[in-house]
Formats: sequence, C-alpha cells, structure tokens
Amino acid sequence: MADMTDMADTDTADMANPVPAPNPVPAPGTASAREVSRRFRPPVLVALAASGVAVIALLVVAGGWLTPYDPGQQDLMRGAAGPGDGHWLGTDALGRDVLSQLVAGARTAVVGPLCVAAGALLLGVPLGVLAGYRAGGLFDAVINRFADLVYAFPAMLLVVVVVGTIGDGYWFAVAVVTLLVLPAQIRLCRNTTLVQARLPYVEAARTLGLPAARIMFRHILPNIRPTVLATLLLDFGGALISLSGLSYLGLGVPPGTPDWGELLRQGQTLLAVNPYMSLAPGLMIIIATVGVTLLGDWLYDRGTAGTDPR
Amino acid sequence: MTYDAQTRRTRPDREADGTGRTSGIGGADGALLSVRRLHVYARPDRAHGPRTLVRDVGFDLAPGRTLGVVGESGSGKTLTARAVTGVLDDGLRAEGQVLFDGIELLGRPERELRPLRGGRLAMVLQDPFTALNPLLTVRAQLRESLAPGTRRDRVLASAEISRRLREVGLDPDTVAGRYPFQLSGGMRQRVAIAAALARDPELLIADEPTTALDATTQAEVLALLRRLQADRGMALLLITHDLRVAFSVCDRVLVMYAGSVLEDAPAAALARSPRHPYSLGLMLAEPPVSHFVDRLVSLPGQVPAADGVADTCAFADRCEWRREVCTTTRPGLTPLPEERASACVRIPEIDDELRTRLLGRVRKVPPARRRPARPLAAPGEAPRTTSTRDSARHAESTHRTPPGPPSGRTTGLYGHDLVPTTPGTPPVTPDGAPFLTVEGLGKTYGRSGTYGRMSSFAGPTRSSRSVRLKGTTTEPMALRDVSFELREGESLGVVGESGSGKTTLARCLLGLTRPTTGTIRLGGVDVSDYRKLRRKEHREARRLVQMVFQDPYSSLNPRLSIGTTLGEAVTAGPDPAQRPAELLERVGLPASYARKQPGELSGGERQRVAIARALAVRPRLLVCDEPVAALDVSVQAQILQLLREVRAGYGTSLIVITHDLSVVRQLTDRALVLHGGEIVESGETAALLDSPRHPHTQRLIASIPGGN
Repeated sequence: MADMTDMADTDTADMANPVPAPNPVPAPGTASAREVSRRFRPPVLVALAASGVAVIALLVVAGGWLTPYDPGQQDLMRGAAGPGDGHWLGTDALGRDVLSQLVAGARTAVVGPLCVAAGALLLGVPLGVLAGYRAGGLFDAVINRFADLVYAFPAMLLVVVVVGTIGDGYWFAVAVVTLLVLPAQIRLCRNTTLVQARLPYVEAARTLGLPAARIMFRHILPNIRPTVLATLLLDFGGALISLSGLSYLGLGVPPGTPDWGELLRQGQTLLAVNPYMSLAPGLMIIIATVGVTLLGDWLYDRGTAGTDPR
Repeated sequence: MTYDAQTRRTRPDREADGTGRTSGIGGADGALLSVRRLHVYARPDRAHGPRTLVRDVGFDLAPGRTLGVVGESGSGKTLTARAVTGVLDDGLRAEGQVLFDGIELLGRPERELRPLRGGRLAMVLQDPFTALNPLLTVRAQLRESLAPGTRRDRVLASAEISRRLREVGLDPDTVAGRYPFQLSGGMRQRVAIAAALARDPELLIADEPTTALDATTQAEVLALLRRLQADRGMALLLITHDLRVAFSVCDRVLVMYAGSVLEDAPAAALARSPRHPYSLGLMLAEPPVSHFVDRLVSLPGQVPAADGVADTCAFADRCEWRREVCTTTRPGLTPLPEERASACVRIPEIDDELRTRLLGRVRKVPPARRRPARPLAAPGEAPRTTSTRDSARHAESTHRTPPGPPSGRTTGLYGHDLVPTTPGTPPVTPDGAPFLTVEGLGKTYGRSGTYGRMSSFAGPTRSSRSVRLKGTTTEPMALRDVSFELREGESLGVVGESGSGKTTLARCLLGLTRPTTGTIRLGGVDVSDYRKLRRKEHREARRLVQMVFQDPYSSLNPRLSIGTTLGEAVTAGPDPAQRPAELLERVGLPASYARKQPGELSGGERQRVAIARALAVRPRLLVCDEPVAALDVSVQAQILQLLREVRAGYGTSLIVITHDLSVVRQLTDRALVLHGGEIVESGETAALLDSPRHPHTQRLIASIPGGN
C-alpha cells in the first residue's frame, strides 16, 4: 500500500460532516476526579441493564431446557386463555403456552440482530477506518456517497417495501437491515478515525514508515474501540426493533416460528382475553434494547475513562 | 494537627512582623482579598482515597496591587484561584478562610456568590479559544456580562459595549458583530477581558491569560492588563507558570509547589534573590534568551503529588541542599526581612549560595565549539557578573561538566549514562555538504470553499496572508517560496508565531503533507512527494528524518506500552536487533519503563520516549516541533539538554521549530524567521537574536516579557 501523504490537504473537505465526539488521548492533569466519577453511570442502572441482558442471553442459550411446555404444542381446548392453570402468561388462540413461546422467541429475536451487528463489525468498521484514514480520497468519496444515498431513503419504509415486495424470509430481512445499518457505522468509524489520524502518535507512526494497514488496525482501531463497541450494541438494539417490527407486520419470520414480534401481532387480537400475550413480548423487546443500549453507553464511558492515566 | 499549630505560629508573625509593611500583602485590614489557611481536598473516588491538593495557602491582596501565583502543573495554583471564586469542580472541597472585602466566601451558598462573581470579582481564563460561546457575537457576549440595568436598556448597552471594546483596544465597529471564530486568539482574549471587566470588578483573577497566545500577543495582553489595572485601582490575581510574566506584571509573587506555598516575596526582591531552592531552580531552569549557556541547569525529577509530601518539605526530593531536617517535618513559611517569607528551613545557611548561583547564571560563556564569527558575548546583565567572577563555586555549579567537546560518555539526567553508539563521531561538521535542500517551497491549503470563505473573514491580525492569485481566487498560502539548506550535523531554528507556516514546513519535510510547489531534497533524494518514491527509497527516506512532536500527551499511542511502541519503531529501522531498553537508556530513562503505559509517565518522560522512538531508526535529521512548549519549566531544560546530547552524540542534524526564542538560542546554530509563510530573516542564531534587522524579528524579540 502506498503511503497516504495527503491528509492535511483534504482535511477541510470534511467540515460539513458530523464529527463525533473525539476520543481524545487523555492528558494527565486535565482529567479531574469529578470527570472520572461522572464518567461512571450510577452502577444500579448498569447492573439492572446487565442483568436484563444476561437473562435474555440465558434464554437464548438455554431456552430449550427452560420452557415449561413445547412452544409449538397446540391445545385447542385451552385456546386464548389468561394466566392460570399452569400457564403463567396464559395461552394464545391455538392454546400454545405464551411463556414458552416467549422463551423460545428470544433466540429468533437475538440471532438476527447479532448477525446485523456482526455485519456492521466485519464490513462497516474496516470500510469506515479505511475511508477515515484516506479521507478525501476516491474510496472515501464513494463510501460517503453510498452513505448519503442510503440516508436519503426512510430506512424502515425501505425495509418494509423491499422485504414486502421481493423479500422472502427472515434472512433476507436481516441482510436488508444490515445494509441499512452500514452507512451509520461506516460514517462513525470514518469520523472517529479522522480525529485520531491527525494526532501526533499516528503521524509519528507514518513518519516511521509503518505500513498503512498496521497503523489503521494496530494504532487507530484500539483507540476508537469504545465508540465502535458502543455503536455495535446500538446497531444490535436498532436491528432488534426493526426485525421485531417486521415480524409484527408479518414480514419477518415464517408463521409458526416463536418470535416476539410475531407474538405481539397475534396478541393484539386477543388483547381483551390475554393482555399478557402482547405486554410480555413488548416488555422483552424494551428490556433487550434498553439494556443493550445502556450497556453500550457504559462500556463507552468506561473505555474512554480506561485510558485515564491516573 | 502539627502544622495547624505551625500556621498559627507563622501567620500572625507575618502580619505583625515589625517590618512596617503597609501595602501589597499588608495587614488584613487594608486587604481587599484575604486568604488564610486555604486547603483544597478531593473527595475519595474509585481510584483514590481522600486527597489534599492545596495545603495551607495564605495571602492578602490590596486594591490596586497585583499578586502573582507561580507554579508548575500540579502546584495547585489554579485550584487556589478557583477556591477563591468558589468555582471548584464537584468532588473538590475548600476549607479555610477567604475574606473578600470582609465577606467570607467559603461555604457561602452559590446563590449569594453569584451576584458577587462577575460583579465585584471577575475571572479571565486561560484558553481564549473556548472561553467564548461560539454561537454568540462579540456584542451578544458582552451584553451578557453587563449589569442587569444596563443590559436591558438597548441604547445604553450598545454604548457600553462600544466603550468596553475600545478600552481593550478593539474597534467596536468591526469587532462587535463578529463571532469568536472570526477573531484571532489575541482578539478573543481581549474580548474575554472586556467581558470580565464589563461591570468594573474590584478584583480580577486571571488564570494563565496569555499562555495560549503568541509572544507578541502575550506582550500586548499583559500591557493591557497592567494599564487597565492601573486605571481602575483594581486588584489583580495573576496565575501563571511563567516567572518572566509574573516578574513583569506583579508586585508580589507566591511560588507554589505540590500544593504548598514555598516562597512569598515582592516580585523585585524575588527576581533579585530567591530565598528558596525551588524558586532558584525555576529561575535557573528557564533557558535564557540573552545568551547561550553551555550546560543547561535543570531540576532533576518531577513535581510530586501534594499528598506525597504531607510531612516533609515538598521540594526535598529534588533539592540539592537537602538535609535530614528537611524531611522530618513539613516546614511552614518563615518570615524573612524585606516583607518576604520562605518555607526553606536552611535559608540562613544557604542564602548566600543561592544568590551566588543566580548571579552565576548571568555569566556569558561563549560556547567552546562554535564558529569563530560569532560575537563573544551578548550585551545584557554584565555588571552583576563582576562581583562573582572570582567565585570558583559558581563556575562549578553552573557548569557541572567542563565546556568543550563532549566526551564519549555524558552523564544522563536521571543518573544514567548516555552511551552514544558511535563514539568518536565529530559532534559538529559545520562545513559539510548540504544534506537537506529546500527550494522554492510553497504550500496552499484549502481547495474547498469553506476554508477560503472563513479565512477571508479572519481578522487583520491573522498573519497567514491571503494572496490574490491570477484571477479572483483568494487562497491562503501557508508557505511561500521558502528556500534553505541544512548541512549534516547542523542545527537550524525555525522561528515564527502561530499561522506563520512553521508547522506546515515541518509536515512537508516529513512527508506528512505534500508541498504545492518547490522541491525538498534529502540526502540526494527528491522527497517532495513521498508517494512518488519507490518502496525502497521510501523506506530509506523515512529513516533519514524523524520528528519530535509538541504535545507529549498525544504523541504516544495510549493503548500501547512504551516497550511495544519502541519495539515497533525498531522494526522500521536499520537495526532490528536493538532492544527498547537500550533506546530508553539512551534518553536517560530506566529500562523498566518499557513495561509502563504512556498514561503512567509525566510529560517530560513521554517526550523522552518520543525522542527514543525517533532515534530508533537512527535518523540523520530530527525535526522538533515545539519540543518543550508543553512541558513544565523545570523539565524543559532536561529535554533541551537531551536534544543537545543527541546531536553531539550521533551527529544528528536538528531543525527546531518554535516560537520560543530561548529555545532557538540554546539549541541552534542558525535560524530563520517565518512570517506569513515567508522567510523574513535568516542568519546565525547569535547574530539574529542580538541584532535583528527585520522589523518582525525585532518585534518578536521586544515582546519577551521582562526581557531586553
């Protein structure tokens, strides 16, 4: 790879772009005790978020052993009933146990967003870092125009239309959501990289003649890691909502698969008979999303405070 | 407990010590601001238990007087000022007594303090670039600071704003409608001062008001503060790290160190004869502008935390006069004649020696290995030297190593030996062939419109000039037709203020940015555009030249250990077998530092590591961009000395980019002055500084505080 010698010439072109809060190299003597304490969210909230996320993770891993009933097992005699008689959250129209479906649905709910986050990590982060390191270059321009293009469409509408017309199945929806998450991830990585790339430690590495790839992934990436991590978790939360939303609209998982969005949709018609069938999956979606977001926030704070020299 | 008793013993003495002092620190009765036994504590947090940050500070400030609080980072000077105004950060707590015109400020609720602040007592902060709200025009900004009555009356407010702007030397018609980003740093600081003075405060607290400014702007702002203060009889509390600034502005100076006051004296008396080893150390450590000194004296070690020195003399660790008595208890301020006080218990014994040391400093020693053409000595404070010429002691103390070409081994500053790998290399080869040739170098920034538009708004003091190129395009030129040569082993200073293009020049030399026009030839290879070089040439060019950056805090990757950083640099160099430990040793750091993270190091140590990293590839040219500007005074000399040793030991050429003329004097053979992207003057350093010809150079030299 040829060395990038042109950074300063093109810096000014980036003024129009939103530059996220830099993750500056903290200087000793500037971070006061107050700053350190402020960076730590009240641990109670974080602990709550973490335990929520942990419970959901447990459901994903061990859900099969935890369900009191087979989530697919129908019992038409006991259809659409409120809690009671061994069914803690009641049953749906076909007499399937809501709690079991809820537990089993955790896996569907989480796997898709995980794939989206993984896609953002494997595609978005390298592309973003590359664009940021070569800011102003051709690659950067292409990436940015792509991001502009995707931004120009209302994302959710696009998903609904695409998946609704040509779509077929859950994984296609996951792919579309990934594509829609990418621009934000790329931009963010690009801009955080841009901030780092101007710092002397990066220039020192360039002056030493280190390979560009090494500078990007060994020097810059660890320094933008807190931001990357936090946004990946945000992506995860967003994807969870999008995919559950699609399922709710009937565009996500195939009917019959236990899924929170699907459960929410079916529960809507039974609101008067068994409100828990709607409330429970809604609550799970909220817990998962809020929990992950808070956790990401906290990890970010910790990550940026972690380099604090004192 | 022990030192509470001490305080009681010393303080009343100071108030009635029979010297009949009536002004300045005076008695509490005449004082506008009277501080006693001020402590600042930090509440315990995750990382630390409760800590004491400021310990037992006391002073009085009368109307119309100026008190300077001088100290390095971590000395507690800013915390003291903040405690006085009641704007300490959360987690910090002040105790003691702060009387402002008889009103106790400490412990008073925020609601009652607020009308006082901005009204009777005002603050000016260090950073003019963030002290103003970027979304408000100067007019709106100033209106905020006016008294409520004036503010509401539109006509009155407008008149008042104009008056205030004129008072700080700004033209209201051009400035009032502008936003902060359209103003230069000096103009912004003037606006901040105008805002602080808008309600005629009786006390102005200025925290490093000129630190972020250029030398010439600094001189203007200091003159402005002095004038405004004299006009109004306002009391001024000036916080600064720069003794020269304090001496040029203040009546009285407190020297703080690690949270304690070590010396308290009238400025003139302190300048004449410091009565504490630390005060002396600070004065000696400041590299002189007026003459070259053969061996820069520096304070070994670094500033301790206030808590680490609770029951010992705070300075004992770095003090060469330390005796057992210094570390058994914490000495309080002891009153001395001439209305001064010192916290050094050995003052009666060492006073004479301190004075001799200071006088020794003014002796001018023409460096032994210099070209004969240089003038022998600069005119200056010569008279004082005569009385001490005969003192053998001072010669020994200022020049611990005898002048002359350095031997193979030089003692490192941390007690380690500096072992150059190529002993016997001649330190200076002034008449070699040009090693670096720069010809007609030009650099234009801002192909996009945004920058161009912004710069055309920029104020008239902005030194980077806009140049009209063919047609109508107006583009700022960072560099214009810069040409010079550098011989192997030579040291060249590049002097200029911010915006003069000096950093752009450095970046061009290092291939971090491409020049628009002109060529750079390095060791026979055209390196104007690193991208055009073949892989092998590229690697070799990279090895020829390395850089030392200004900010030691961001020049090391915070996520990599020192050893990893150095190890990586070694792999880029010609000798992959080098160990990080050797490199560390070479810059006077123990080998154990390889395991440390950058965050565990002080600024000076980081700068050493940055130099070690540069040395890893055995460069023949080291470009130093403001190598000591971000460092404490007591550490600056260490780094300058290290750079000298690097040059002497390896024959490395230096290009020293700086606004600080004392750095140029101490480190370079030749210098060129950049102004608005052009070389306005160049020549041998001594000649350039002693008899500048270009008006800009003359202005730079005239603006050294308290200088020539």
